[in-house]
Amino acid sequence: MIEIKVALVGQPNVGKSYLINSISGATLHVGNFSGVTVEKKEVEFQRNDYKLKFIDLPGTYSLHPYTPEEKVTKDFLLNEDYDLILNVVDSNQLQKNLVFSFQIADLNKPMVIAFNMYDEFSRNGGEIDTDKFYKLTNILAQNVSAKEKFGLEELFKKVIQTYEEKNTPRIYYSETVEEEITNVKRKIKKCKFDKRFVAIRLLEDDEDIYKLIHKKPWYIDLISQLRASKERIKIEFDEEDIKEIFFEERLALSKGIISQIAKRARKEKLSEKIDKILIHPILGLPIFLFVMWILFQSTFSLGAIPMDYISSVFNSFGDLIGKIFPNGIVKDSIVNGIIPAVGAVVMFLPNILILYLGINLMEQTGYMARAAYVMDGILKRFGLQGRAFIPLVSGFGCSVPAYMAARTLKNPKDRLITMLVIGFMSCGARLPIYVLLVSAFFPKHIQGNVMFAIYIGGALIGLIVAKILREVLFKGEPEPFVMELPKYRFPKLKAILFDLWIKTKMYLKKAGTFIAFASLAVWFLSSFPRAGIIKEYSLKIENAKGIEKIKLEKRIKKEILENSYLAKIGKLIEPITKPLDLGWREDVSLLAGLAAKETVVSTMAVLYGEGGKHTSKNLIEKIRKNMLFTTAVAMIIIVMFYSPCVAAMSTFYAEVPQWKWRLFYTIYPNVFAYIAAFLGVSLIKFFQ
Amino acid sequence: MKLNELNIGESGIIKKIYAKEPLKSKLLSMGFARGEKIKVLKHTLAKNTFDIDINGVNVALREEEAKEIEVEKI
Repeated sequence: MIEIKVALVGQPNVGKSYLINSISGATLHVGNFSGVTVEKKEVEFQRNDYKLKFIDLPGTYSLHPYTPEEKVTKDFLLNEDYDLILNVVDSNQLQKNLVFSFQIADLNKPMVIAFNMYDEFSRNGGEIDTDKFYKLTNILAQNVSAKEKFGLEELFKKVIQTYEEKNTPRIYYSETVEEEITNVKRKIKKCKFDKRFVAIRLLEDDEDIYKLIHKKPWYIDLISQLRASKERIKIEFDEEDIKEIFFEERLALSKGIISQIAKRARKEKLSEKIDKILIHPILGLPIFLFVMWILFQSTFSLGAIPMDYISSVFNSFGDLIGKIFPNGIVKDSIVNGIIPAVGAVVMFLPNILILYLGINLMEQTGYMARAAYVMDGILKRFGLQGRAFIPLVSGFGCSVPAYMAARTLKNPKDRLITMLVIGFMSCGARLPIYVLLVSAFFPKHIQGNVMFAIYIGGALIGLIVAKILREVLFKGEPEPFVMELPKYRFPKLKAILFDLWIKTKMYLKKAGTFIAFASLAVWFLSSFPRAGIIKEYSLKIENAKGIEKIKLEKRIKKEILENSYLAKIGKLIEPITKPLDLGWREDVSLLAGLAAKETVVSTMAVLYGEGGKHTSKNLIEKIRKNMLFTTAVAMIIIVMFYSPCVAAMSTFYAEVPQWKWRLFYTIYPNVFAYIAAFLGVSLIKFFQ
Repeated sequence: MKLNELNIGESGIIKKIYAKEPLKSKLLSMGFARGEKIKVLKHTLAKNTFDIDINGVNVALREEEAKEIEVEKI
């Protein structure tokens, strides 16, 4: 069977994913474009003895890429092997879309256009004459509605027909431009691209094409011709910027063709009406905050319910294994090492799924762009973008889904800066640490205020750090903010579920393996070496009875931890943390906190020799007696800013492929935490 | 006058785009071209961010970007 490889290209919000989800009898594969965290969806299906393979390329506004996703599309169109381009167009925005269509038509590959969302367009009185469009452009086109599933089979027929006839577009610019294209074309010798395409792109100053040909022997000859041609076009059009001239050429073409093939639709007013309320200058912000409140309530309150179930399932599974296996290192490593490590991975799924469901709904309905519009003015002051709000606020719940939520930021710099400060938003797991320390060391009537100051202070410092990062690391021009506000649309359930499934798979595969290994490593460090201790105690425990036995079991736990590799590291760094008034017990607790922030409290409980309930009165008493006030403050400050848990760090590594940034991310929060804690402690000592 | 000087509900014809690359290509691809008609649908309270209609497409941009577009009020 012959395979036709089709590149699916279109501007954002034209319903390409809808289209892919609407093909009956198709199988879907999801992967990554090599080297970047951009999803690559492929669909395969059969029609008339052909195997059709659609590759869904990221939505892009033009072949002058702006975001990394747009660059992926351009690179694919230039360098990959495919038979045909299927350009999806929103019928309701013909003019803007066709300008891009004519840009890709220059590639001179066989091409078909799908006028999508035709249902909406025709309902408002619009019509498109695709036969006439074919006569004018030599591109076969089909009116379709992916949502109502009409026109799709006809579209596939036209894809096959175009493939069989090797039918390429015929689109011509104005006379002067065409003459100069021909002049430049004549100087282009052997080249893997279509010569006309290369000529056009060179005239438009496409640097990617320059790079590809500047080593060719005929380059010098070409350059002088190119200069002369550009000069002539500039004079003829009385405009210095040739990119703009070409854009206007295509815009004129687009307008001319639309006037011949389409009957205009009445203007839809619904979106405008909804926007009157949702992005109202005064009401917009409170409405947005309310939506956010619902989103986080459901993510972290609703998400806590399945989290409890998951943890109890893993616990009872551990107990079961514990009963089956004989005592020893194998059992211990399964029950205390592997099962909790896998559990830690699955644990975050409910949070991630609910948050993503919310984000997906916001994206698909079109509200996300409005949220960015509403928040942009505030976040801009901190060098961040409107969309950064969602990942930042998610950080208060848990950094793992927050790092993943940062994907809604399309610009890589915006995304990186946002991700670098997410950790400063104190996550839910840090709450018990704050509660323990604050209730032990602060008078009752100001405890609430102290807690508030911890959370707000962390967030504010995070925003200020974002501003500093922007100024120091990404000096120069601020990132421009130009964003389409798409029409409000009803979300499609199938597309959302499918997207959630993909996110789950990606999380389990990439972050999941990281998290499992890191949790295992921390477990190993905190429970070895211990051969001697176990030998010493095992006989005693066997002979002991009742309460005595439980006491011994607690002691063995404490002794193992006190002699573990982790404790050795803690003692090793004690001199470094001395100026912060931290002893090795605090150091070990903080190090254990890298496994999960919850373990800070449980480790302190073990080390201060108080088993049982972690936040019990006893522990608070013990800590108050054994710790200095400055030690508590230093610990609070460090917990506010130092590295998040390995699960969060693993997610960051999975999302950011550059080692430079991974390294920076691993080091700078700890340095920052150290300095901040030092300042805090010194201030207190100064005033005491 | 510049685009950011228009008030809510006012329209204008684009005269020139001063923006440099890559912003310029982005604006062009959104439909901001000489001779096109635009309308300010909304802006935030402090006029930080604008919601512009251009040929039936809604585009949000900041004051900084709006300053780069010369318009003639109609």
